[in-house]
Amino acid sequence: MTELLRTEGLTKRFRGLVANDNVDFTLDSGAVRCVIGPNGAGKTTFISMISGHLMPTAGRLWFKGREITALSVARRAKMGIARKFQTPSVFDRLTVDDNLELAALGKPVSAGERRANIEEVLEITRLHDLRRIVASALSHGQRQWLEVGMLLANRAELLLLDEPTAGMTAEETSATGELIRMLADSRNLSIIIIEHDISFIRGLKAPVTVLHLGRVLVNGSFEEVAENEHVRNVYLGHE
Amino acid sequence: MSEKRTSAEMGLPASMRLYSETTVALVIFVLLAALPVLVSGYSIYILPQYLLYGMLAMSLGILWGFTGILSFGQAAFFALGAYAMGLAAKWGVTGNPAYVGLLASLVVGAGLAAVVGYFLFSVGVRDVYFVLVTLALSIMVEQITVSQSQITGGYNGMFVPRFSLSFGVGPELDLSSDAAIYYVVLPVVAAVYFLLRWLLKCPIGKVLVGIRENEDRVISLGFNTSLFKTAAFALSGAIACLAGALYGAHANFVSPSLAGVLFSTQVVVWVAIGGRESLLGALFGAVGVSALSNYLTAVIPEYWQLVLGILFVVVIIGFKGGIAGAIGRVFGGEAGDGGRD
Amino acid sequence: MNTALSVLVDSTLITFVFALAALGLAVVFGLMGVINMGHGAMLTLGAYFTWFATTAGIPFAPSVLLAAVGVGVIGLGLEHFVIRYFYDRPFETLLLTWGFFLITTEIIKIVFGTDLRTVENPLPGAVVFGTVVLPAYKSMVAFTSLLILVGLALLLFRTTLGIKIRALVQNAEAASLLGLNIGLTYKMVFVAGAFIAGLAGALISPMLSVDPYIGNIFLVRSFFVVIVGGIGQVLAGTLIGSFLIGGSETLFALFSGQVVAQTIVFALAIVVLRFRPAGILRTR
Repeated sequence: MTELLRTEGLTKRFRGLVANDNVDFTLDSGAVRCVIGPNGAGKTTFISMISGHLMPTAGRLWFKGREITALSVARRAKMGIARKFQTPSVFDRLTVDDNLELAALGKPVSAGERRANIEEVLEITRLHDLRRIVASALSHGQRQWLEVGMLLANRAELLLLDEPTAGMTAEETSATGELIRMLADSRNLSIIIIEHDISFIRGLKAPVTVLHLGRVLVNGSFEEVAENEHVRNVYLGHE
Repeated sequence: MSEKRTSAEMGLPASMRLYSETTVALVIFVLLAALPVLVSGYSIYILPQYLLYGMLAMSLGILWGFTGILSFGQAAFFALGAYAMGLAAKWGVTGNPAYVGLLASLVVGAGLAAVVGYFLFSVGVRDVYFVLVTLALSIMVEQITVSQSQITGGYNGMFVPRFSLSFGVGPELDLSSDAAIYYVVLPVVAAVYFLLRWLLKCPIGKVLVGIRENEDRVISLGFNTSLFKTAAFALSGAIACLAGALYGAHANFVSPSLAGVLFSTQVVVWVAIGGRESLLGALFGAVGVSALSNYLTAVIPEYWQLVLGILFVVVIIGFKGGIAGAIGRVFGGEAGDGGRD
Repeated sequence: MNTALSVLVDSTLITFVFALAALGLAVVFGLMGVINMGHGAMLTLGAYFTWFATTAGIPFAPSVLLAAVGVGVIGLGLEHFVIRYFYDRPFETLLLTWGFFLITTEIIKIVFGTDLRTVENPLPGAVVFGTVVLPAYKSMVAFTSLLILVGLALLLFRTTLGIKIRALVQNAEAASLLGLNIGLTYKMVFVAGAFIAGLAGALISPMLSVDPYIGNIFLVRSFFVVIVGGIGQVLAGTLIGSFLIGGSETLFALFSGQVVAQTIVFALAIVVLRFRPAGILRTR
């Protein structure tokens, strides 16, 4: 397992508010990590600093061995960092196929390879029969999957998923869990997931990082974290 | 957001969509090519001018309709092209001044747009500020052409000759006749139309449409959108400038008002009414509206502009697709889907 | 009067005149974020209403007031029937207000004709203070502009209404939770902007010949004044922006004539826009 992502002392201050405080974090390729924490813990800020949408106030980041601290969103995306936003950000007026095509264009491969890639993604995301449907006509769950599909078509190596199951039915949620497992295991993708759905996280059987007030509170398996005194107190508002 | 389905979804196979835009365009251009054989006189004289307005409208169409960047300054490029043509003739450059003028117009158009575009897009200047800058650009070009009157003739304008084209071998083609210049302008306009259609199917075209739809998403997919936007603006500047150069030669005259705000915004009105997301809509929106304007100004001058203004507002409020969009909907397909057949 | 002093005097007067012309836009665009491309048309309307009133025999001052009220009413109509549905869509607002400009200009042409009109200067001549020569009317307009700016400052910073408006600008959601009627406040601010624009057009009318496009020259200028001065800084921003834009124009005009001066100023304003989109004054 090689180290894919590393942050050291990652800090973000907004005029007196410390959103992220000295976060050290590592992730290997092919690994899944859940990031949880109460509202305001700094989870989305952390993800934003990895994707490049926010620049850190202090600290550094490395991806695939290269320092990316000063790189723009587009540069990091080209390197393979892909972000899925809390509200699905797809091209509403384009068809599913066009959405994936545009995503696939982000990486310099031949047209034939691109096509094959898109076909594969359509299968994985079960959107094959909907390929000519305009994205705005999809159900919410299907739009979430389309967005993930776009990231796959874009040949992402690190997926940053911000609340991927928000607004999904139970069925869609469990299917999403399977998808994530499959992506990590068979395609060696690394995935960081911000989630609130406890049963979903439990089902993923992946290590968990708990953030609180911008700092890393604890790292461990789901069971370890669930039994941790501190974590319980934090969620109950005692800390 | 309405539930839009493709024609495939509605049970109609794609092949039944007889009226794909490319077919319609081909038919129209063929008809136009045949026109001088059937008709002569004023219509043949004036039609190239409308077609060049149409080309100007297409330059806005590719920028606004397909990339989502509104410009109130296309006339600035148009006028610069015409002046380039006039100056090439006036300064008696070596070689055929026509070619020099045309080439200069392309270079000036693309160059100016690329510089201004990159200057602003590279720091993410927001769309509405960009509109303002293009508006200012129009005013600035108008003012420069007024003030540099030794070169440009100031308010009185400048004469632009009807050039002759030389092809290296054989006699020069004199363009003073209506038919001759008609058969130069029409292929150019048609070529630009098909070139832009082709471009939209290329990867770069798809990225531009993506930028219009959701620029943040495009950035997050790894594209340097400032470069793409600059390229789109440069292309639109080049086309507008070329149209202006041909216009100058056709009308034999250019004056500062060609660069002005009023004309620049007329282009926006044409494209809005014709249909901003359809190149054909933009092209013939311009041709139709300017032809009508010309005709009606002789008959009921004041009210026509008022009607146009009201129509413009109506389109913005409720009929974004313009006339082309309405036609597209009538024939059962998707309107404004980024130029697909 | 020696040149340096006359330049200074000119610049000061121009600053206040530009500030008056831009203030309506500073209120509407700066406070509400409404891109009013019809701002120039509102100025033009103010000028025409003034001409109409004075030609009908009404004295100058009441004419100006009537003109401003007239434009305010039109602004109310525009807001109520169109603009208020598009507050969250800046592009549509831009185009719709431009449509307003197109329609208004044509109606003006139909009703008033396209011939140049003149509004008589109620205060011709100049006032002399030692070596300083002040054109009487222009100075009066500048002074009025100063009064309006001060009045607006007092309104925004010393009254409850002012606090409500500033709260609304900062955070509409929070303001509504505090019981503020957003719709009504937006209406008032828009109408105020229209009123001030009409007033500016009215006051400026004796200084220029009135034609259907008289307000247009102030459109782009006003936008640059507001952007350079800083969006949201209605008072200090408008003044500083006016000084920079107006003062520069006056200064450059000394060397190269009015037309080129304006081109240069626009070019500089574009550069400022690019490097300091928040305006010369940094927002807190």
